[in-house]
Amino acid sequence: MTALPASVRTLDRSTAGGLLALVGLAIVYLIALRTDAAWPVFWISGVAFGAICQRSRFCFVAGFRDLFLMRQGRMLRGIIAGLAVATAGFAMIMATVVPNPGSGVLPSDAHILPLGIATVLGGLLFGFGMVLSGGCVSGSLYRMGEGYIGSWVAIGGVLLGLYAMARTWNWWWDNQISSDRISWLPTDLNYTGAIVITFLLLGAAFVAVSWWERRALRGLPTFTIPISSAAPEASEDGNTLGSLARKVFRTEWTPLIGGIALAAVNILIFIRYRPLGVVGELSRWSTDFAANIGAGVGELKGISDIPGCVPRFVEGTWFSDAFMLNAGIIAGAFTAALLAREFRLRVPRGPRRYVQSLAGGVVMGYGAGLGLGCTLGAFFSAIPSLALNGWVYAIALVVGAYAGTAFIRRFP
Amino acid sequence: MSEQNETPVLDVRGEICPYPMLRTNRELDDVRPGVPELRVWTDHPPALSTIPPEAMKRGYGCEISERRPGEWEIHIFNAETAAAG
Repeated sequence: MTALPASVRTLDRSTAGGLLALVGLAIVYLIALRTDAAWPVFWISGVAFGAICQRSRFCFVAGFRDLFLMRQGRMLRGIIAGLAVATAGFAMIMATVVPNPGSGVLPSDAHILPLGIATVLGGLLFGFGMVLSGGCVSGSLYRMGEGYIGSWVAIGGVLLGLYAMARTWNWWWDNQISSDRISWLPTDLNYTGAIVITFLLLGAAFVAVSWWERRALRGLPTFTIPISSAAPEASEDGNTLGSLARKVFRTEWTPLIGGIALAAVNILIFIRYRPLGVVGELSRWSTDFAANIGAGVGELKGISDIPGCVPRFVEGTWFSDAFMLNAGIIAGAFTAALLAREFRLRVPRGPRRYVQSLAGGVVMGYGAGLGLGCTLGAFFSAIPSLALNGWVYAIALVVGAYAGTAFIRRFP
Repeated sequence: MSEQNETPVLDVRGEICPYPMLRTNRELDDVRPGVPELRVWTDHPPALSTIPPEAMKRGYGCEISERRPGEWEIHIFNAETAAAG
């Protein structure tokens, strides 16, 4: 009689840990409920975001990079589908807040941002940095929860980059951003025109990605990914709730489902508060922390006039609704990874990968500060806001990611 | 000189995208061109959907199995040899 194989023993530990983590999520939820009206909403949204990303392996970097590296558009099509769903939802919300868009009034919480050189440069830096470090900002956050040490390093780099941005912010504000125009499509086109244009562009992007991919795969049979799990499945005891739970939490979701689910989270949080974004809060962490160790950056000009991903300082406490969102993303991914038996401490191989994560993070952090958001806030939440800055940022991301891909190809 | 009985293993645990896929491709194209079989070890779940398509583009078949929680083996094999033998 041999000892139980290691996989069986850890299997139980992982699932048990996942259930324990679920209890932890619920406890934080209850505490949040008693503290502030916004906290539980942001906590749940963060947890949902992290869990959806973990299950669908949702990755903005893969979306852009794999288009060039492998001519694969699976992830990017999921992102585009999510943008389409969010556009429909955001339009309904914004039409309720601002029924007459021609009046020049803007829906205050939508991610309609100053559009200019900062948008382009921010997107270029971000696109390059995210490919170099192997994850964007929101992606590195959820991978922190999955046990990737490299992602902890990358987020450290992002905080450094955001601090460097904060130190130079007032220069950018005085010389560029304060005089940048704001372009919200419905102002000139009304909602109907803006929605039609957005859908047409998304449709064109979807078709272009599929065409690009099909050209590369010409002559190859279509195939499904051959996953045959050697791990012993828990006994099928006819417990339908249990088998349903296994189906949801153990099988991989497609990027298409992931993108649509993320869009649903984005719509739900915008109905009550504001669209998803993680960079503003990270920026606050780095500037608050710097101030605490005597390296404060002083007043940041103009940030109270900008919606979206700029730091929001809360008097007297380190915790805020945005903190709950970011923490929720990490906790949600952690829990989902445990339940899926996929949690593992993943240690990068060799010092070079640490340098790559850190440097990519710094570049990406500076870009996110300059471009007023990451792939989430300045792209995934901005295009559905019917804001032109979302599209400009997207194009800059593509160019930056292309450069990043060329770079890592040369230095493997 | 061939080592028919020893299936070579490529250990890319700890690597994240795109390196598991790039290193597998390099193994198949340059390091061991024409190798009938290769086992790739990874702890990066996204690699499970990037490595097989690339291997299939090169005419290989693939099978994924779990080695332990959070760690997988991708068995890449020459589809024709496998069918014949």
